[in-house]
Amino acid sequence: MRRMRLPAATSVLVLLCASTVFGGDYPPRVGEPHPDVTLPSIEDGAAVSLSQFRGRKLLLIQFASW
Amino acid sequence: MPVWHKASQRWVNDGKLAVVGITQEQHPDRCRLFAQWQQFDWPILHDPIDVTGAMAVPIVMAIDEHGIVRVVNPRVETFETDFLNKTFPPPPDAAAATPVVAQRPDLSELDRTANKLDTIAGWQQYGDALVLWGGVERINNAIEAYRRGLQLAPRDGSLQFRLGVCYRRRYESQLRQEGDFERAVTAWNEALNLDPNHYIWRRRIQQYGPRLIKPYPFYDWIDQAAREVRARGETPLELAVSPSGAEIAQPQRRFSEIGQDETSPDPNGRIHRDKARLIQTEVVVVPPRIKPGESVRVHVTVRPNQTADAYWNNENEPVKLWVETPADWKTDGRLLTAPLGDRPETNEVRSFEFELKSPDNAQDKVRLSTYMLYYVCEGVDGTCLYLRQDIPVDVQFER
Repeated sequence: MRRMRLPAATSVLVLLCASTVFGGDYPPRVGEPHPDVTLPSIEDGAAVSLSQFRGRKLLLIQFASW
Repeated sequence: MPVWHKASQRWVNDGKLAVVGITQEQHPDRCRLFAQWQQFDWPILHDPIDVTGAMAVPIVMAIDEHGIVRVVNPRVETFETDFLNKTFPPPPDAAAATPVVAQRPDLSELDRTANKLDTIAGWQQYGDALVLWGGVERINNAIEAYRRGLQLAPRDGSLQFRLGVCYRRRYESQLRQEGDFERAVTAWNEALNLDPNHYIWRRRIQQYGPRLIKPYPFYDWIDQAAREVRARGETPLELAVSPSGAEIAQPQRRFSEIGQDETSPDPNGRIHRDKARLIQTEVVVVPPRIKPGESVRVHVTVRPNQTADAYWNNENEPVKLWVETPADWKTDGRLLTAPLGDRPETNEVRSFEFELKSPDNAQDKVRLSTYMLYYVCEGVDGTCLYLRQDIPVDVQFER
């Protein structure tokens, strides 16, 4: 597998997240913010947060290999 | 997802878009193999406990630069006009985007908070952090955290689901305890009873359940993926746990009865019983309760008793499992065998799976008789015996 691309950080804000406790229905409605979530990468277990992609347009795909 | 992968490559290469996946499944390595096969090159995050609360997958979302959801389940054909080429103003209270780096949580701090406040959210957050970041060596702590949460909220389906994930993970680890798989199925079933519309939870039971309730075969793609990856000159990523028979079985619309002509290998019960339990057995029925007329998948796991220093004797015929069904019941496996080990004496886990279809008038609990015949040795180069073990299978019916 090719290496996954993560956004580069210049000035860095460190996020200390457990798993977010989500409230309300999922997926969020159009016009609502997507809750931030920090999860391990399947590649190496590194923590990845959706907020790392803030500032870029993002396509978020929830799926399963089954 | 391959459709979105192909469509998004140009936009990603042009710097217009980032793509992130979240996979909703128990085993991250299976998704890694899938990603290798499909040549996905975007980050994929593992969410085995459904922290996002997604009820079903796939869900695709277009999220703008400010973190606002702009399109749910967009169409590839109109993605540029609906989202990519649009400018979205920041919300009035938006702070300037600051690059961030995510870090693993402080498990000790979450532990202290959970114990101090003793709230449902506290236990859930601690349990989630343990599952996601604690490794399998902390799985007992995760189980305890969710159980503490369930003491406060016994009807919390998400806690039940998470607890099931933990039991299954422990079952597949060196820390396994007898009954873990059954505990996982029971917890998932409890979650589903609390919210029958939750398809992520439903899928986890179907993954191990009978073919009549399977929507698709789940992991039948794995062999093809490995073949095609090898054909590209790459080495397929290894799986920590190979899929079980249930996980690769094809769905079925009608129950196929198999083995009606087989005859019992010990009809009069003359083979000596394994009174010393040289072979330990574990039976799990999935789902744990059914309506009359429905079917179950039975998982029988057997292993030599390490305390008794027992080993399979592989210089004889394979282990056999005979399934006896009452009148009006059907099975798709009357006489099953498990492959022999690759050395004269081995002590690996062996498993059998078969399905049972109940009659329309079944009720309460029905106990079916199965038995296993095997050659087992007491210690390497020790005495070897041919023994029988009777293994009851209880099928429970909804009231």
